[in-house]
Amino acid sequence: MEKKVSENNIIIELKGLTKRYGYGDTESFALKDFDLTIKRGEFIMIMGPSGCGKTTLLNIIGLLDRASRGEYILNGENVAGISAHRQARLRAKKIGFIFQNFNLIEDLPILENVALPLVYTGYSKTARLKNASSALKRFNLQEREYYLPYQLSGGQQQRVAIARAIVGNPEIILADEPTGNLDSRSSHTVMEELKKIHEEGNTIIMVTHNPALTTYATRVINMLDGQIDTDVKTVEDQNLPQPIDVKIKKRKTKPEVILGQVEPTKKHRRKKHRRKK
Amino acid sequence: MSLLLKTHFKLAKTSIKENRTRSFLTCLGIAIGVASIILILSLMGSISNLVKSEVSEIGSNLIVVRPSSTKDSVTSIIEELTSSNTFQQSSLSLSDVEAISKLKNISAVAPIATSTNTVGSEKNTFSSVQILGTTPDFVKIEPLALRYGTFFTNDNKENGVVLGHTLSLALFNTINSTVGKTITIMGEKFMVVGVLDEIDKSINFDNIDFDNALLMDANALDKLIGSTQIQQINIKAENTDSLAAISTDIKNILKENKSGDENFTVAYGDDITHPASSLFTVVSGMLAIVAAISLVVGGIGVMNIMLVSVAERTHEIGIRKAVGASSRNILMQFLFEALILSILGGIFGLVLGYILAFLISVITPFAPYISWEILALTLLTTLAVGIIFGIYPALKAASKNPIESLKHYR
Repeated sequence: MEKKVSENNIIIELKGLTKRYGYGDTESFALKDFDLTIKRGEFIMIMGPSGCGKTTLLNIIGLLDRASRGEYILNGENVAGISAHRQARLRAKKIGFIFQNFNLIEDLPILENVALPLVYTGYSKTARLKNASSALKRFNLQEREYYLPYQLSGGQQQRVAIARAIVGNPEIILADEPTGNLDSRSSHTVMEELKKIHEEGNTIIMVTHNPALTTYATRVINMLDGQIDTDVKTVEDQNLPQPIDVKIKKRKTKPEVILGQVEPTKKHRRKKHRRKK
Repeated sequence: MSLLLKTHFKLAKTSIKENRTRSFLTCLGIAIGVASIILILSLMGSISNLVKSEVSEIGSNLIVVRPSSTKDSVTSIIEELTSSNTFQQSSLSLSDVEAISKLKNISAVAPIATSTNTVGSEKNTFSSVQILGTTPDFVKIEPLALRYGTFFTNDNKENGVVLGHTLSLALFNTINSTVGKTITIMGEKFMVVGVLDEIDKSINFDNIDFDNALLMDANALDKLIGSTQIQQINIKAENTDSLAAISTDIKNILKENKSGDENFTVAYGDDITHPASSLFTVVSGMLAIVAAISLVVGGIGVMNIMLVSVAERTHEIGIRKAVGASSRNILMQFLFEALILSILGGIFGLVLGYILAFLISVITPFAPYISWEILALTLLTTLAVGIIFGIYPALKAASKNPIESLKHYR
């Protein structure tokens, strides 16, 4: 399975994906027979009018939602019908979410907000906080580790959210209008950060309304009524940035984090090992 | 998993700290329930401890026969509760006492027949005085200390009576010159032959308040009143080895006397310390039920507050799910919070309960009784309350749809 992935470098494959809401008279389709193949290292911008199914698509790719019909192959594995528990596990390990309204937990200092995804992947508290701290450092927020979200500006909050999205070193980053609530200057900073993350070899799928941002993308998809309207690639497949640490990433016994270089606790490693047997 | 448990614990702690007043009030609900259970258990424990120590003072070769309701049904218990005299329909009679005294290996037999009547002296007259009918053997079984005079003997049992300490004071305003004086019961005159020393034990295995009682011969009492109700028969065996055999003999002979009905109980050893009447059992049982109800109310408080907490934190639940928390993680997070609330309440209630028990012990002879069983029971009960009332809010939290939850704002 691993081989197959590396051969054609496909990370996500959607086949005939359909999402239906309601029945009979009230029936409507957010997605209708949607096909899409995403390669590792792509930076995809999805555009389109409101209600065309962009967010639904993002939620399905992010395993927060399920399609009514169709196949979703993630890393060579069909994940359309897996249990909610497995969905959560995959979400924790492979997917990072960035939202328009930041979605930080108000009661937690930003350091713990950033460390949140690591809680559910079995890191010890020290490892979590170290990783979160180095992620924040990357976005020049290290001095504000113990601030609460409301004490930061919108741009800073979104950078915290990005730090949270990448802290677990996921393969896919999903962004739902990350600049929608920001002024142009903050938008620019946030987009630059996303660009940097993309250049490190991460796959980013972003929904936006702002056509000016498409310059950052390697592929722009326009959606209409739950289907692809136009699909333009601006960068050739072979020129896509590839993850430098792709080999390390595949070694499942050691989920390593580039940012902090902190390995998970021994206990965790042992458990993983046993499971592999 | 253990890492996650630690995290859940921390999260719960933070959440409880953030809503301090709310958490305190919720804990208080549990605490009151637990405190009342502790109070009842510790009082009941102290009562049976008092009786136990008394029985061990008397000696281990004691056998007690008590009447029991012919039908052990709820109606008979209610009947007992509503009637003014607990043993109005006592199944034991003086002929049973006689039959028992003829058995082998028995050194003494003393019935305790009870009646209430008006007792008069030259100075005062009191109604509702508890009169005990027994035999001179009574002191052989139970060493009652006399302040003045002697216990009545076979020679003077026809008209000799013994007064309790308080009763003597009440009738004659004194205790030291009471012996030799005359009292009147139902027109008959009796002579006081002895006065008991003050016995500060309102709880004993005879179920009698000796300080306020008048003791006389059972046959004399029978003659005076017509029919006596025997509350209990105390029997002293010659040695401890044959207790089981003797109690079987007693059972057989009583059964024979009553043409087969087994409407009595024969107890020896630790069984004696069991509550002397079903009244006691019923009352303590009802108290326990009331306490349990207050604990349930406390549990509902926990459930209520957890539901509020889940509703308030819907957005947080959405975020947690989006970053990789499974439904199980969310379930555990909220269940932990409920558990911590109820266990905190339990500990609080434990302390409160014992403080109350100590306060009660100041004004009553009940010493608070602490045992690891009570502690374990409390812990288990609060755990159970936490799980029972925490599981629904936790399930509700876990089943929230992440997409809907993310749209939810405070």
